Amino acid sequence: MASASIPAYSSNALENSSTKNASRESLKMEPLSDMPLLPGEERVIDKDIIYICPFSGAVKGKVVITNYRLYFRSVEAEPVVTFDVPLGTISRVEKMGGASSRGENSYGLDITCKDMRNLRFALKQEGHSRRDIFDILFRHAFPLSHGLQLFAFLSQEKFEENGWNVYNPMQEFRRQGLPNDSWRITFLNENYELCDTYPALLAVPFKASDEDLRKVATFRSRGRIPVLSWIHPEKQAVITRCSQPLVGMSGKRNRDDERYLDLIREANGGTSKLTIFDARPNVNAVANKATGGGYEGEDYQNAELVFLDIHNIHVMRESLKKLKDIVYPHVEEAHWLSSLESTHWLEHVKLVLAGAIQVADKVSSGQSVLVHCSDGWDRTAQLTSLSMLMLDSFYRTLHGFQVLLQKEWLGFGHKFGSRIGHGDKNHADADRSPIFLQFIDCVWQMTKQFPTAFEFNDRLLLTVLDHLYSCRFGTFLYNCESARDANEVKTKTVSLWSLVNSDRSSYINPFYTMESSRVLYPVASMRHLELWVGYYIRWNPRIRHQSPVEQRYRELLALKDQYLKKLEELQLSGSAPRLSNSTAPSPASPTQRVTHMHTPF
Amino acid sequence: MEFSEHIKTANVEDVILTQPFHPPVKGTLCVTGHHLLFSGRDGDSSAQLLLLLRNIDAIEKSVENLVGCSGLGSRSSGQSERSTGSSGTITIKCKDLHILQLDVPGMEECLNIASSIEALSSLETVTEMYPFFYRPSFLSLQGQWGLSPAEQDFAQIKALSDRWRLSEVNRDYFVCPSYPPAVIVPRSIDDETLAKSAKFRQGGRFPVLCYYHRENGKVIMRSSQPLPGANRKRCKEDELLLQAVIDGSELGYIIDTRSAQLAQQARMTGGGFESKSNYTSWKRLHRNLERGKVLQESLIKLTEACSDQSHNMDRWLSKLENSKWLSHVNSVLATAGLLAECVEREGCSVLVHGSDGTDTTLLLTTLAQLILDPQCRTLRGFLALLEREWVQAGHPFQQRCAHSAHSHARLKQESPIFLLLLDCVWQLERQFPLALEFGEPLLLQLAQDAYASDFGTFLCNSDKERCALGVKEKTHCLFQFLCRPSERDRFINPLYQPTELAIWPSVQPPSLQLWQGLFFRWTQSGQYLQEAREEIRNLVMQCCRRGCGQSAVQLEADSSIPSSGVVDC
Repeated sequence: MASASIPAYSSNALENSSTKNASRESLKMEPLSDMPLLPGEERVIDKDIIYICPFSGAVKGKVVITNYRLYFRSVEAEPVVTFDVPLGTISRVEKMGGASSRGENSYGLDITCKDMRNLRFALKQEGHSRRDIFDILFRHAFPLSHGLQLFAFLSQEKFEENGWNVYNPMQEFRRQGLPNDSWRITFLNENYELCDTYPALLAVPFKASDEDLRKVATFRSRGRIPVLSWIHPEKQAVITRCSQPLVGMSGKRNRDDERYLDLIREANGGTSKLTIFDARPNVNAVANKATGGGYEGEDYQNAELVFLDIHNIHVMRESLKKLKDIVYPHVEEAHWLSSLESTHWLEHVKLVLAGAIQVADKVSSGQSVLVHCSDGWDRTAQLTSLSMLMLDSFYRTLHGFQVLLQKEWLGFGHKFGSRIGHGDKNHADADRSPIFLQFIDCVWQMTKQFPTAFEFNDRLLLTVLDHLYSCRFGTFLYNCESARDANEVKTKTVSLWSLVNSDRSSYINPFYTMESSRVLYPVASMRHLELWVGYYIRWNPRIRHQSPVEQRYRELLALKDQYLKKLEELQLSGSAPRLSNSTAPSPASPTQRVTHMHTPF
Repeated sequence: MEFSEHIKTANVEDVILTQPFHPPVKGTLCVTGHHLLFSGRDGDSSAQLLLLLRNIDAIEKSVENLVGCSGLGSRSSGQSERSTGSSGTITIKCKDLHILQLDVPGMEECLNIASSIEALSSLETVTEMYPFFYRPSFLSLQGQWGLSPAEQDFAQIKALSDRWRLSEVNRDYFVCPSYPPAVIVPRSIDDETLAKSAKFRQGGRFPVLCYYHRENGKVIMRSSQPLPGANRKRCKEDELLLQAVIDGSELGYIIDTRSAQLAQQARMTGGGFESKSNYTSWKRLHRNLERGKVLQESLIKLTEACSDQSHNMDRWLSKLENSKWLSHVNSVLATAGLLAECVEREGCSVLVHGSDGTDTTLLLTTLAQLILDPQCRTLRGFLALLEREWVQAGHPFQQRCAHSAHSHARLKQESPIFLLLLDCVWQLERQFPLALEFGEPLLLQLAQDAYASDFGTFLCNSDKERCALGVKEKTHCLFQFLCRPSERDRFINPLYQPTELAIWPSVQPPSLQLWQGLFFRWTQSGQYLQEAREEIRNLVMQCCRRGCGQSAVQLEADSSIPSSGVVDC
């Protein structure tokens, strides 16, 4: 009787185990000749290597490195061990041991990945056998540090859909009912001159002139002025976003900025006080004054300031690092829950979600809000996009979610290039931080709490995260729209959404039920948050991952369709079936059904 | 005895009922012999409450005489019409972890109600309990009590192997008071040998068969500890019995649910373990599973942590960890996995016991059968399994479930062993959402009925007691009821897809989750999630009904597909 990858409950207690060792010499084929290559992908080196699997020990095999990926397949092990790691996922390559190191498999390579795993390979000690593979890996994993191109620019992939058409800013503004009497669309930033990290099109208060905007830009960090992200279709309350004001130690004030915020408030008649959500902890906001930043003081008379206590990119990076320590390669079993607690990862997730709930709640009660942190491209993006996800069911569709990412993350200049470090060898760069991952985690938590509210499934979230690192698509490359324009990303690379939208059914949640008006408030309490085991611990074969419930449902749906079709055929052919007996299939039909069962999926 | 003796005040008007996540309701409270009834004024059904008094674990009452206070109040605020006298508050903590509060006008009424609840909820006489009075029109007492008689179970094994027989050595409950009258034993062992072996086992619980593994003919046996005592006594008959379980030269495993040290210590009190020299073909594995008080305390800690309503929920994960509940779940599942592994992978027969053989032993044998045997994963199969391994095998439900987490009474034999079983099954269901024909609602129903029920199934501590009191004639059987088509629908997992494969649970801590459906049942508003689940259920049910009544057919094909082929790491 076959069974799934089995957790060993106590293999050492059982004496006569592991005696079956099927050698399958007859099956030796040209190794790795069948390895799939993407159009534009080229093999660079093949090598015999030993993979030191943290779960099952040393595995002999072959590794192939292309300009896109590292592919390994075992040669003797049963079952076959394979893995496929896009080079973009690699954050660090190190040599392990030296030519004179003692001990088996002590000479080789240590590879640290950005997606919660490490890989360790051992090679023969003679003849500097790792030199070529190390150099090649180093060059191709970090192409930008070596004057090479990212794979996205080399890829020749073609898809039915063109993902670059997913988001049209003007169309999205129109969907929201903009422009209207109170808000206008300005082309002032068309050439990224007002703010080089903002998108070309901006929605601003109708009453604010272009001149006003320029003046405000001088008082906001990096010119990131308050602009509209979302407007409530009935109440006209808005979510606006920006960077911190440049108050500084001396407590400067800027009348233009104050007036501008008042214009935002006035644009919605129902807002008596504009709520400013400063994502940072109070002390951090104060500390920012020392470097010229700060927060809106009492000079802003018609505003109230709320701090959301979300920590900065460095805290999040350290937290994730701690999380990795307790899940990879081995799960910290003895004190799992308290270890998990001490990483604070879930607590940070909770704070981000709780902040977004406050934003959504304010807006749905008809009050306009302004959200910022320091630069307005990390925590701010998390808060605006999550609150928009809560408020607007459009963003919960597969298409809408893509629009949301394009708009709030890519458009408003979340520094994907720096936060992820695409193609860059500097693994210790202090600019790297898992802010976007944390956001996707928050989305995942919401999909868990509202299993029927999202049109997309877990697989979409995993795919997005995988290609956040892979560099196969242009979507997440560079820090902002202007840089993507300058590098002609849209014409020279393929969008991730081309892949997704050419295979929509794989990313659809079959339980999705459209409900347009509902505001989703997830419960942001530690008791209701779960560690996303399917992402953070997905490399551990001893963790059982969610069986494919959705798959099963899809099968049932397909079966229903087949049944209905069959019924139609029968009716057409005149031999009317007796409906009430349909539960007992004719002897011929089951085999048919069975053979068709799995093909569509 | 008349229940009315305990009821000094039967009805009180203007009582305010407060429950978590419901607005307080004003209505009429009524105490009967077995129930607490509350009926809200508006006649709205959400304001109705029918609570079995047996479900009440503890009550707290506080009364205040408002006469004095009201004088003050009326002077300062002028609101005198409300201060008509005294009132009291009764907080009711139920065994199913529900907590509710009643504000009763009138101090005397309040005290009367409280004392009625106290007296009636702690009645010890089994025949006075509600199952003996429950007579719904849609059930008849004539029907079969229980799902599958021992003869039926044995017939299945008999068809596969001739090495076993059904013995009635215990027909009068003399040999073992906690066993059912008929048990399955090796064919070559006669009743006399059994009786002698029984003398050498705690409580007379000699080794009996509880599971026959079709694929390789190996079995799971269970018993209580042997009684070699400090003098290392031995019992030829007991050794013979175990030898007969395995074929001559084979090796069998004994899984002892105590640590080696505890098993050693047990010798000082007359108990002990099967020594290597006397049981040469058997290899002992010690796996310490907590039981008794330790589990009870764990449950108490866990419920405290769960019901902590303070906004500062710092360190929730640490509190959860400190309760140790999940680590108990972990070790039980891991040991059940080991047991199943011995049978399925090692191809060995296994004997399981701890000391009494009525608690942790049953946890393991039940879970191993769920892991291995697809028959046990249907609704009916699962209930039949519980009937065999818990009700008939003599888990002392009455003692173990007398109180749950809230009781202030001095605990005696209480222990949430059965709850732990249900939690483990829930974990299995969560990890294999397609493999079980039933789902969380059934487990919740069982968790409730084990502590307080309309049915007689979980009354008493053994088959013998149930027979003596006429439970099978005078009460209805829960399992029969749950299998009725009308009930079945509520408990069926619409995504069920039978598989012949063993379902090996992952026991890594991140794979185990707190069973929120049980422990947060009353303290959080899972309303949306509930609705969503309902929606999914309806979707799937709709689809099943219209599309495919033939699930059985397609499933045969599926089961041949292993759940994973290539190790992807």
